[in-house]
Amino acid sequence: MAASIRRSVVALALCGGLVGGCASGDTGAAEVWDPLETPNRFIFSINRAVDIIALRPLAVMYRDLVPDRAQTSVRNALDNLGEPVTAINEVFQGDPSRAATTVARFLVNSTIGLAGLFDVAASFGLERTKEDAGKTIGMWAGVEPENGGFYLMLPLVGPSNARDGTGMMMDYLVDPFRILTFNLAGGNWDAWQFGRYGANVIDYRSRTIFALDDLERNSVDYYAALRSAYTQNRADAIRQKREKTDTKSELERRENLSLVK
Amino acid sequence: MPLLAYRRVVFRLAVAAAVSVAAFPAMAADPSQLVQSTAQQVIDIVKTKTGADRQAAILQVLQTKFDLPAMGRSALGTHWNQATEDQRTRFLKAVATAEARAYSERFGQYGGQTLTVGKVTPRANGVTIVDSRLNQKTGQPIKLEWEVRNDRITDVKVEGVSMVMTRRSDFNSYIQNHGGKVDALVQELETRAAR
Repeated sequence: MAASIRRSVVALALCGGLVGGCASGDTGAAEVWDPLETPNRFIFSINRAVDIIALRPLAVMYRDLVPDRAQTSVRNALDNLGEPVTAINEVFQGDPSRAATTVARFLVNSTIGLAGLFDVAASFGLERTKEDAGKTIGMWAGVEPENGGFYLMLPLVGPSNARDGTGMMMDYLVDPFRILTFNLAGGNWDAWQFGRYGANVIDYRSRTIFALDDLERNSVDYYAALRSAYTQNRADAIRQKREKTDTKSELERRENLSLVK
Repeated sequence: MPLLAYRRVVFRLAVAAAVSVAAFPAMAADPSQLVQSTAQQVIDIVKTKTGADRQAAILQVLQTKFDLPAMGRSALGTHWNQATEDQRTRFLKAVATAEARAYSERFGQYGGQTLTVGKVTPRANGVTIVDSRLNQKTGQPIKLEWEVRNDRITDVKVEGVSMVMTRRSDFNSYIQNHGGKVDALVQELETRAAR
């Protein structure tokens, strides 16, 4: 009995090896579409220069010198300002109940949480989510999430693609805080915006120091490694959203069936 | 022997047989066990060893728990077929050294991380995916997915980013920018390994 099981395990393992052997030969599908590679690489080299001279040192100082609690509060406040855009995206992702939770979070944190400095809502069990229009487009586009259109290296912003670049524009246009400051602050509008985006960039860079240093040190072509890592990471986030929606709609379908019975 | 005692012996034997039959395949191919033990080994190494000692120990883990030849072959993609036997051997050796160094430098000091193994999903092609979370002292846990085939780890995905896939893009692009020659890559990897 044990021997026959052992044999079938060996047979299974062999089959797996054979099938796997065939699958490991492909390359084409895994590569990112990058028709603008030459200009992209040019922008990338400028970005890197700016990063080495200014951005990374600032981010390192921020990470090492600013107390952890202050960093958490800054992150909370910035995330809080981003909450309305997340809620809008959650509506378009077909998840209004999650959007309502995000709005509730926003209201609680903006008031009790002192303008978002403290994430009080999380202790009420309202967990934070972060959505952007790139993910929303990716969710409904009927293509593999790895396929985000042509790859794009944006000045100062970094890796993106047609899908996520469009998403970023859309988020920028619908962002209530941008519209609000535009109307209220009048002449000081750009100062407010630069302050917010600048803080976001330093905060984000300080959180990616470890991963990006690692990727740079352990790659022979940093540009290509980053392109691949970015695409995979975004695809994974979109795939998770799709799977969640699939399970949810499946559950709803079953619920409806049981109601009919 | 009284009938009752005899029955008990038979029962015990039957239980023992059932357990051994059930346990054997589980021991031979339990991917979550493999992931757990590998993570524990790496944590122990990071806790106790530093420098060259650590790198050697990590290399040992890579060679015994990971399917390095398959990973290297996959990372080289179509260029694997064009490479000579000598180039392949040198390539695999250089990649193993590079990975061992990367892993030993990655965790400077043990920061109290722990690994929680989650769902295990067998796929039709003999690959098993093991979900896990690396819990940190501060901040969000990191999502790690392990690909296991034939009792060996064949890929690790960190937040959806596959090690093998990233290496493949990296290597392919390097080869393309160096006249489509595998030799250029092998030499670059060897210089890096010797550093």
